[in-house]
Amino acid sequence: MFILMVLSAMCPVVFIISLLFEGIDRKLHARMQKRIGPPIIQPFYDFVKLFGKESLIPVTAASGINIASPILAAASSIIAAGIPLASFATTAGAIGDLILILFLLAASSIMIMVGGSSSGNPFAAIGFARKMTMMVSYEVPLFISVVSLAIKSGFSLAYNDIIQFQIQLGSCFAFAFPSAAIAMITFLTCIPAAAGVVPFDIPEAKTEVAHGLLIEYGGPYLALLKLAKSATNFALTFLAFTLFFYLPAIFKGNSSLGYWAILALCVAGALVIMFLTITVPRTIFARLKIGQAFKFNLVLLPLSILSLVLSIVGM
Amino acid sequence: MAGETKEVEYGYSRLIIPIGPVHPALKEPVHFRVSVRREEIIDVDLRLSHAHRAIEALAETRNLVQNMYLMERICGICSHSHTTCFTQAVEGIGGIQPSERALHIRTLIFELERIHSHLLWLGVMAYEIGFDTLFMYTWHVRERILDLFEETTGGRVHHSMNTIGGVRSDLTADMVEKIAASMERIEKDTRYILNVFQDKTVEKRLSGVGLLDSRTAKELCTVGPTARASGLNMDIRKDDPFAAYESLKDSFSVVTRTGADSYARTEVRIYEVFEAINIIRTIADKLPSGDISPEESILRLINKIPEGEMISRVEAPRGELLYYIKTDGEGGIKRLKIRTPTLANVLALRHMLVGGEIADIPVVVASIDPCLSCTNR
Repeated sequence: MFILMVLSAMCPVVFIISLLFEGIDRKLHARMQKRIGPPIIQPFYDFVKLFGKESLIPVTAASGINIASPILAAASSIIAAGIPLASFATTAGAIGDLILILFLLAASSIMIMVGGSSSGNPFAAIGFARKMTMMVSYEVPLFISVVSLAIKSGFSLAYNDIIQFQIQLGSCFAFAFPSAAIAMITFLTCIPAAAGVVPFDIPEAKTEVAHGLLIEYGGPYLALLKLAKSATNFALTFLAFTLFFYLPAIFKGNSSLGYWAILALCVAGALVIMFLTITVPRTIFARLKIGQAFKFNLVLLPLSILSLVLSIVGM
Repeated sequence: MAGETKEVEYGYSRLIIPIGPVHPALKEPVHFRVSVRREEIIDVDLRLSHAHRAIEALAETRNLVQNMYLMERICGICSHSHTTCFTQAVEGIGGIQPSERALHIRTLIFELERIHSHLLWLGVMAYEIGFDTLFMYTWHVRERILDLFEETTGGRVHHSMNTIGGVRSDLTADMVEKIAASMERIEKDTRYILNVFQDKTVEKRLSGVGLLDSRTAKELCTVGPTARASGLNMDIRKDDPFAAYESLKDSFSVVTRTGADSYARTEVRIYEVFEAINIIRTIADKLPSGDISPEESILRLINKIPEGEMISRVEAPRGELLYYIKTDGEGGIKRLKIRTPTLANVLALRHMLVGGEIADIPVVVASIDPCLSCTNR
C-alpha cells in the first residue's frame, strides 16, 4: 500500500520531468540545427494549450476506443516511468515489476496504435501496419536484453534487486560483464525505435503518412498522446541509466550521497542517455524506410540472444 | 460518369490514400489519389488545377508593362525566369536589342536565382526524407542568396529586375565584388551539403527511387534536371542560347547523370549550383560596360511594339519555360500562353510512382521539383 501511495506521488514528478526532458531535447535539437529553438518549458505551454482546445472525433471513428486509448496510453507510460522512481524512493520493489514496466511501455504503444486505427483514417491504417512491424522488430531484443540482466542478478525480475545487485557489486552492469555490455548496446539501440524518433519515426512520418496514427487526434487527446510519448522516452532513458550505468553504486562507501543526490544523478544520467539515443539520432539521420528499419532491428536480435547466452554461461 | 460502375475492393488489401490538396509533404494545391496494397503503390491518379489563377486571361486585359509585373507573380521562386522569358518575347516582336551589359546582369540574376531555387529544393528534399537538420543547413545557405538579392535588386523574392529592352537597376562595382566574394562562401557551404547528401542514410532513401529511363523521359517530354538526370543532354542555355549565354558558352557545362533515379536528380541539381557559381564568377570578371536600358520612356516604348507573335523559351531552374505571346499593337496582349516546366514533368510522376513504396511518394513527387503555382497559372 505504501508503494502505491509513493507511486501516485511520483506521477506529477514524472509529468514534470518528462516534459522537461522533451523541452531540453527540443532545445538541443534546435541548437544543433543552427536554430534558436523553443524555450525549455515549451512542452508545458503546448500541453496546456492543447488541453484548452476543442476535441473533435471523426464520424468514422469508433468513438469509445478513440477516446479511451489516449487516456490509457498516457496512464500506462506515466505509471511505467513512475515505478522506477517509486522503487527508488522506497528501496523496495514488488516481484517482477520490471516485467510490469516493460509491459506498460508496450501497452502505451499499443494503445496509441489502437486509438489511431480506430479513427477510420487510411493514413492511420498505414501507420498501424508500420507501428506493428516496428514493435515486432524492437520489442523482442529490448526484452531479451533486460532478461539477460535479470539472469545476472540472480534470476530476479524486480527492478530494485538489479540496482541492489549493482550496489553490492560496487560497479555498473555495463562495465562489469561482457554480456551486460552487449545487452546495454542492444537496449540503447532499441531506444530510438521505441521512442519513435527519426530515423524510426516511420509510423508517424509527417511527409509520408501525415502523422499516421496521430492524424485524427487534436486537443486534449493529442496532449495526452504527446505526454504518453515523452513519459515513455523518460522511462526508457531512466531505465537504461539505472539498469546499466548505476553510477552511485561505484561510490557506495561514500555516505554523503543522500537519496535526493542519487536521484538527481540518475535523472542527469538519463538526460545524457536521452541526448545520445534520442536527440543525436534524430539530428543526424534521415528517416529510414520500414523495410530498412526492420532489417536494422533484426540485427539486434542475434546480438541480444548472444548477451542472453553469455549471461547464462556466466560471463 | 453515369452508367459507369466502379469496382471497389474493401478491406485493407487495397487502400486509396489521398495525397493533397492538403498534405504535409506537399503544401501546394495538387491532388494524388494513390492506390496502395500494403506498402506498394499500384496506381496513381493525378488531379491538377485545384486553384486556377486565370493569369493568362488576366494578362489580356493589361498592357505590356503591367503584364511584366503580373508574370513575375506567377512564381515566387523563379520569378526572374518568367519575366526574362516574357521580355525576351516582347523584345523579339518589337525588334529591341538590349545592351550587352543588360543581358549580362539579367544572366547574373538568372543564375543567382538558379542557385536559390536549387538550394531551396535540396532543403525540401531533405525534409521529405525526414532529415530536418540538412533542411535547416541548406536553407541557411540559401538565406545568403536572398540577402544578395535584397542588396542588389531590392527584393528578396520578386526582384523586378527586367524591363523591356534591358534591366531596371544597375550593378555597381561594389555589388559585383560582393557577389563574387559571397560565391566563395556559398561554394564551400554547397560542398558541405553535397558531402552530407552523399551520406549513406540519405543515399539509401534516394537511390533507385522513382526510376525514369531515358526513353520514357523523352516520350513524356520531361525537361530540365528531371530529363538531365535520365541521361538526356538538353539545356536551353546551350541548345538555344538566350540572354548572355551565347558568350558564356564555355564557362559552364551541362550536368547529366544516367542514374535516372531521385538520387541522380539530386546530384544534377547540386552540381548545377557549382556550374551556376562558375557562370556568376565569369560574369563578375567581365561585366561589359554600357547602358542598362533604353533612354526612351517605357510607356512610349510599348506603344511602338507592333502587332505580332513570338515564342520565347528559357531554361528556368526547373527546366524549359515557354511563352507564346501575341501582341495587339497598342501596348497590350491578345493572347498569352505559358508552358511551365512542372506541367511538362508532372506526367512522368505516374510512371515513377507505380511499383514503388508509400515511403517513396514524397521523395518522388519532390524529385521533379513541382511548382504548382506556376502550373496553375
